[in-house]
Amino acid sequence: MRTNLDRRHFLGLAGLGAGAAALAACGGPSTAGTADAVDTATIDFTGVKPAASIDFWTNHPGKSQDVEKAIIEKFHAKFPDIKVNLVTAGANYEEIAQKFQTSQAAKTGLPGLVVLSDVWWFRYFSNGSIIPIDGLVKQLDIKIDDFQKSLVDDYKYDEKQWALPYGRSTPLFYYNKDHFKAAGLPDRAPATWQEFADWAPKLKATSGAQYAYIYPALAGYAGWTLQNNLWGWGGSWSKNWDITCDSKESVAALQWAQDSIYKDAWAGVSSKEAADDFAAGITSSTISSTGSLLGVLKAAKFNVGVGFLPGGPEAPSGVCPTGGAGLGIPSGITKEEQLAAATFLKFMTEPENTAAFSAATGYMPTRLSADMSAVLAATPQIKTAMDQLAATKVQDNARVFLPGADQEMAKAAAKILTQQGDVQATMTELKKTLEGIYTKDVKPKLKA
Amino acid sequence: MTTRQIHSSTAPAGRPDAPPPVPPVAAEQPTPERRRWSGRSRKDFLVFLAMALPNLVLIGTFTYWPLINNIYYSTLDWTLGSASATVVGLQNYITFFTSEDAAKVLGTTAIFTLVTVGGSMVLGLLVALALNSKVRGTTFARSAVFAPYVLSGVGVGLVWLFIFDPGYGVLAWILRGLGQQSPQWINDPQLSLVMVIIVYIWKNLGYCAVVYLAGLQSLPRDVMEAAALDGANSTRRFFNISLPLLSPTTFFLLITTMLSSLQAFDLIRIMTPLGNGTSTLIYEAYLQAFGAYNRAGYSAAISVILFAILLIITVLQLRFVERKVHYS
Repeated sequence: MRTNLDRRHFLGLAGLGAGAAALAACGGPSTAGTADAVDTATIDFTGVKPAASIDFWTNHPGKSQDVEKAIIEKFHAKFPDIKVNLVTAGANYEEIAQKFQTSQAAKTGLPGLVVLSDVWWFRYFSNGSIIPIDGLVKQLDIKIDDFQKSLVDDYKYDEKQWALPYGRSTPLFYYNKDHFKAAGLPDRAPATWQEFADWAPKLKATSGAQYAYIYPALAGYAGWTLQNNLWGWGGSWSKNWDITCDSKESVAALQWAQDSIYKDAWAGVSSKEAADDFAAGITSSTISSTGSLLGVLKAAKFNVGVGFLPGGPEAPSGVCPTGGAGLGIPSGITKEEQLAAATFLKFMTEPENTAAFSAATGYMPTRLSADMSAVLAATPQIKTAMDQLAATKVQDNARVFLPGADQEMAKAAAKILTQQGDVQATMTELKKTLEGIYTKDVKPKLKA
Repeated sequence: MTTRQIHSSTAPAGRPDAPPPVPPVAAEQPTPERRRWSGRSRKDFLVFLAMALPNLVLIGTFTYWPLINNIYYSTLDWTLGSASATVVGLQNYITFFTSEDAAKVLGTTAIFTLVTVGGSMVLGLLVALALNSKVRGTTFARSAVFAPYVLSGVGVGLVWLFIFDPGYGVLAWILRGLGQQSPQWINDPQLSLVMVIIVYIWKNLGYCAVVYLAGLQSLPRDVMEAAALDGANSTRRFFNISLPLLSPTTFFLLITTMLSSLQAFDLIRIMTPLGNGTSTLIYEAYLQAFGAYNRAGYSAAISVILFAILLIITVLQLRFVERKVHYS
C-alpha cells in the first residue's frame, strides 16, 4: 500500500489535530438544558478529608496583605496539613470577579476560597458558581450566631447561607479637623447635608483647600455612596424590584448634589480615590469606606476626624449603606478542597482574627465577641464605624443585584456631576436601562 | 505538476515536429527518475513539516479555533461564569445594532481611530522631517521620540493619569498657576476621550516618526537635487516629490496604525476603566463580557463585528488605496 502524504493532506491533518487539541482543552457552556445548578441536597462532607492545599483569592481589601499573610501563618501552625496559598487575584473586587468568572468559564484554576463583594455574590449564586455553606457551618461548628447579624444576613438567600462576612465596611464621613477649627466649626461631622451646606462656604474661605467636600470617584462605587444622598431626601435607586431612581425625591437629592458643584461651587468630584484626595489636603471632607481609615490616618499630615454620614431633609438618620466583601467557596472544586476552604474560612473569621484584620485596615469586626479594646485604644476612630453599624440600612436591590447597575449608576452620576446634565432626563434614562437589566438578567433567575 | 514536468523533459511542447503527447496513463508508471524526484520531494516535505507544523498548530489553536468558537458563542445568550447557555441565533447582533449604544460605540471607535491614526501619522511625519535634518542631537532625539512606543501601555497610562489628575496632577498645578481650574479629564466622558487620544498619539508617534524617517532617508537624492537646481523651493519639493515618493511608507503606516488603533486596549483600560465616553468596539466587547455585565454571547457578537470591520478596512485599503501608491 502506497502512502501519498502531500501538502494538502498534511494541512488537513494538521488542522484536524489542532482542532482536536483545542476541543479537548476548551470548555464552553452547555446548550442542552438548564443550568448546572448546585444540588445543595447532595453536599455531604461526611468522611471527606480536607485537601492538602488550596488557593485563597483576594484583592487585599484595605491594604491587608500583611495581616492576611500573618493570619495564614497562624493557620499553618494550627493546621499543618492544609497549605493556603495567598493569591493576589486583582486590585479590586471587579478584577477578582473577572478572574473568577473566567476560571468558571474555563472550568479550571478555581480557588478554594474567594473574596466576593456585595455586588458579586448574588451573581455567583445565580450562576451556580458558589456553594451554600450551611452544611459546612454545621460540620465545622462555625458560630454563626456570633457574627454581626446584619452582615451575615446579607449573604442569605433562599433560606441558605452563601458566604460569610470578611472585609465589611460602611461609608464614613472624613473631615479635616484643622480646617474645621480654622473655620470656627464644631469638631464633628454635620448632622445633615443642609447643615454642611451652611458650613461649606466658611470652609472654602478659610481652609485653602480646593473643595469643602469632594464626592467619591465615580469610576469607583458612586452607586454605593450616593445611596446616602438618595435616602436622605427620601429617594432610592429602587424599592424592592421597582426602579425608583427617577422619583421626585431621588431627582431632588441629585439636583442638590449637582448644585453643590455648579451653583454653590464648594464641592468637587474625585477622579481616582476620594480618600487619597482627602489625605492629600485637596478637600476638607469626603465620604469613603471605613476600609480606607487606616490608610488615611497614616497618609494625612493633619488631624483626621470621622463621623456618621449626614442625613437629609426627609431622613436625618439611618442613611448609611453597608458594603464590603465576604468569603465564598466555589462549587467547581472537589469536596476535599471545599472542606479545606471551609476550615480556613472558619479560622479567618474567628474573633481574634477579625479583630486583627480590623486593626490593620479599619474594616469592621464581623464577630460580636471580637475583643476590640486594644484596637480601639490604638485607633479610636474605628469605634465610630462600629457604632454606625447600628444605623445602617440594607442596600437597594438595583445596586447590588442587577449586573452592571453600579456602572450604569456611575455613568449617570458622571453626567449629572461632571457635565451638568439634566437630572430628571438622566434618571429617566437610567431607569430604562436598569429595568432592562432586571427584566433580562435577573427576573428569570428569581424564585417565584 | 510532476507529471507535466516529466512530459516536458522528454517531449518539449511547441515544436512542430514534436511527437504526440504521451498518454497520461504512461505517466503513472513509476520510472527511476520519478522515484528519485519523489524521494527528494519527500525529504523536502519533511523539512517543511518540521518548520511549519509547530506554527500551524499554534496558529490553528490560538487564532483560528478561538475565532470559530467566538462566532459560535456570538449566537448564544450566555452569562459568563454560567455553565449553560441558550442558542439565540443572530439576536445578539440585532440587539447591538438596534441599541442606542451601537451608534455611540461605533462613533467613539470612528473618532478614536481617525484622530489617532491621522494625528500619529501627521505628527510622526513632521517629527521625522525634523529628525532628518543634520543638526546636533538628532540621535538622542530619535531615541527619545521612539522610547514611548516601547514602553508598557499600563505604565504610560498610570503616569499620564497623574499628569491629568484635576486634583494634584501636574497639568492642574500649571493651570492653577495661571488662575485656571483644571478640566475634569477623568470624569467627563468627552474629555476622557480627548485625554486617551492625546496619550495614545504621544505613545505611538515615535513609531510613525521612525518609519517615516527611514522612508525619507531612502528617497533618491538625485531627484531632489535636480528639483532644487530647477528652482523648486523646499515646500514644493516636499509636497511634489517627497510626499508622493513616501506613499509606500504612508500606505504601510495607514494599514498598521489603523489596525492598531482599532485594537487599542491597554491605555483605555487603565485610564478610563468604566469606558465612560471611551468605549470603542474592542473595549465594549471587554466590558460586556469581563466588566460588570457578564454578557459573554453579546460580547462575542461585538468581537465578530469588530473582526468584520477590520477585514473590510484591510481589503478596501489593499484594493483601492494601494493604487495610489508609487513604488518607484
